[in-house]
Amino acid sequence: MTPKPLPSLIAVIDIGTHKTASLLGQVIDGKARMLSFSERRTEGVVKGTVTDLEKLTHCVHEVVNDIERGSGRAVEQVYLSLSGPAAEGERVKGFIAVPAHDGKVTAKDVADAVASAKRLEPPAGRSTLLYMRQPTMLDNRAVGNPVGMTGKRLEVNFWRVTMEEGNMRMRVGMVNGLSIRVRDFILAAHAAACATASDADKQGGVLVVDMGAGTTDWILYYKEHILCAGSIPVGGEHLTNDLSVALRISRETAEDLKQRFGSALHRETDVNQTIWKDGDKGVGDQQFNRGTITQVLSLRYQETIDFVRKDVLRRLEQIFPGHAVRLDQNMIPSGVILTGGSANLADAAEAVQQVMGVSARVGVPDFENESLRKPEYAGVVGLMTAALADAPPPVVRPRGFLAQLKALFRF
Amino acid sequence: MASPASILLVGLGGAGCAMVTRLSAQLPGEVAVALLDTDARALAAGGPGANLQLGRAQTRGMGTGGEAALGLASAEAEEPALRRLFAGVPVVVLVTGLGGGTGSGAAATVAGLAAEAGATVLAFATMPFSHEGERRMRQANEAAAKLGQKCHGLVVVHNDLLLQQVTPDAPLSESFAAADAWVGGALRGLASAFAPGALIAVDPAALRSLLATPGSPTLFAFGAGQGEGAALKAARAATDCPLAHAPGAVAKVASLFVHVAGGPAMTSTEAFEAVAAVRTRFGGETSTILCARLEPALGDRIEVSVLGASLPAPKPAAKPKKGAKGDDPAQPIFEFATEESMRRGLFGGTPMTFIDGQDVDVPAYIRKAVRLPPSP
Repeated sequence: MTPKPLPSLIAVIDIGTHKTASLLGQVIDGKARMLSFSERRTEGVVKGTVTDLEKLTHCVHEVVNDIERGSGRAVEQVYLSLSGPAAEGERVKGFIAVPAHDGKVTAKDVADAVASAKRLEPPAGRSTLLYMRQPTMLDNRAVGNPVGMTGKRLEVNFWRVTMEEGNMRMRVGMVNGLSIRVRDFILAAHAAACATASDADKQGGVLVVDMGAGTTDWILYYKEHILCAGSIPVGGEHLTNDLSVALRISRETAEDLKQRFGSALHRETDVNQTIWKDGDKGVGDQQFNRGTITQVLSLRYQETIDFVRKDVLRRLEQIFPGHAVRLDQNMIPSGVILTGGSANLADAAEAVQQVMGVSARVGVPDFENESLRKPEYAGVVGLMTAALADAPPPVVRPRGFLAQLKALFRF
Repeated sequence: MASPASILLVGLGGAGCAMVTRLSAQLPGEVAVALLDTDARALAAGGPGANLQLGRAQTRGMGTGGEAALGLASAEAEEPALRRLFAGVPVVVLVTGLGGGTGSGAAATVAGLAAEAGATVLAFATMPFSHEGERRMRQANEAAAKLGQKCHGLVVVHNDLLLQQVTPDAPLSESFAAADAWVGGALRGLASAFAPGALIAVDPAALRSLLATPGSPTLFAFGAGQGEGAALKAARAATDCPLAHAPGAVAKVASLFVHVAGGPAMTSTEAFEAVAAVRTRFGGETSTILCARLEPALGDRIEVSVLGASLPAPKPAAKPKKGAKGDDPAQPIFEFATEESMRRGLFGGTPMTFIDGQDVDVPAYIRKAVRLPPSP
């Protein structure tokens, strides 16, 4: 009789420019149940780039301590999110001529094709972080599983994400400092998509835009697979900064005004609408023109969305050179899903609809815990979903008495 | 014989020469004009006053092609001629466009020579449009920092701001005309201030005392008003002047120079009202120099120009001591806001991020040149 597998733990850390969130769950029957959650203000990251490793390390250690204390369990390995321009994506493909006389594809042929794709070296000084499956082509037809089908040329495609070696070692080392291993990296936009987009969305085609504080990451699904992904080094902090420069106010005040009065659309009715900073009209209270706030924010927000649109089209042109690719409702029937903290900006979905010309909605992660059902938590919640789907933690089987004894003395 | 010019207006480089040439028609007699450029054709096109071609040997009469090093070498080669030009001039106003070769390279050298010759140097420098790309912007920023050290007062005009001043469908010439109006108004104000016949007169030494220290942050604003309550309208326009509200501009200064010019109808009460309005906005606690004069040509129009200066920001420590901890970029260092840090706000110290040739850390409304609704 085989011993029943123990429920394994799954821990994810989402390091953002503004906050670092971590979630610890237990995998029961292929589903993750939340054990504990922790969130802290990130320090040492600007525009998605690490500027102070010491502070960031401290911050990561704090959240790990939090989830360990909250659950009473020790974390052995974590999944890290990957966002920002440091992670560069590209499409790699490998192909083989099907060797069998009758043209029947075997599992070994697929493995050979995959190996040939993965043989492609990343650019010098970068190392590969992850491969994501893209459609497999048999004689230029997209097929789900080619094994058993007949054809001449088998082609497999991957979306490969690479990162500069030093940068990757730094991130891994940061976690290893706590005697925790990095189990895998997961693309932040992919995680956000896993939390908010349904299988039907991905089947048809959907663009997920995860606009955090420092960066805006996007990922495009088409016919079930990841077609391409990218990142723009502009985020919610730029919204705040624009406001603070325009109104000559502190970052905190700007952040507060952005949340309370900001909008991604500028309407004529906003102009000459006077709003008060504190509302008590007392000493130190300031009044502003609401039109100024919405004008500044809408310009920045719509520009950023336009940058995303251009970036998507640029990537698509690389993948399908010579084709006039359009980002319209036919390409992505499910439209755009907005996640991340900046999705909370009022009228965000309407603004995206205007700029991109496709339907848009704010994505709220579907999660058991109600406090995490907010767009800014799509990343961390999705990490767990994505981790289970892509690279589940190894199943731990209970060890016998002798094996445990052996482990005690093994150094 | 005409009285010796008390102000020498120097146009340096293509942009500077163009602006000075446009202005020269409306200048009073007290202002002498000189054009300095490496491009012989630009100088040959005419222009009043003394013209000096820089870097004959270096550029052979061509422009610098955007090479700041070439502009610098050209100015250094003409050092004796420049010294002769500046000899005996009390006030030098240098107008230049930064970002290109001649302006960026030569501005600091020319300003330095003028200051060495004993003149008070006030520089107006335009910064390139955001769309002109990374290299020109970087060159301009470096040049502005160098220029600020050399001259007594530096007023930076962002070209992006010019675009904000006019309606989106206005012709390009209109936005440049707006810039000319500001700088020209200031120069007219400065020049006529020293001419005899003012209601409240000052002498050029006042400007010297105002801009005594090189490298001081300079405030500059210009406004005009017409009709009933013209003085207050003009003062209001001056306090709302985009040059004074540009990100990076100085909000309050210690010393102010306010020049009020108006038609015969202007009373001294009106003039003082305007000055009071300007003072509440810009400060001027240490000293306020007031100058008012009547100009029949203005009719019921009143013009207010404001020049102000604060003490310069303290110089950063030259060298950290041996064994001392290096600069920690994340550590919040108390420092005076610089031009660069104010324009980019919280991202002041971070490397620029370029998308489509624009520094995206600069607020979108500045890059897109959108005029914001006024504050209540």
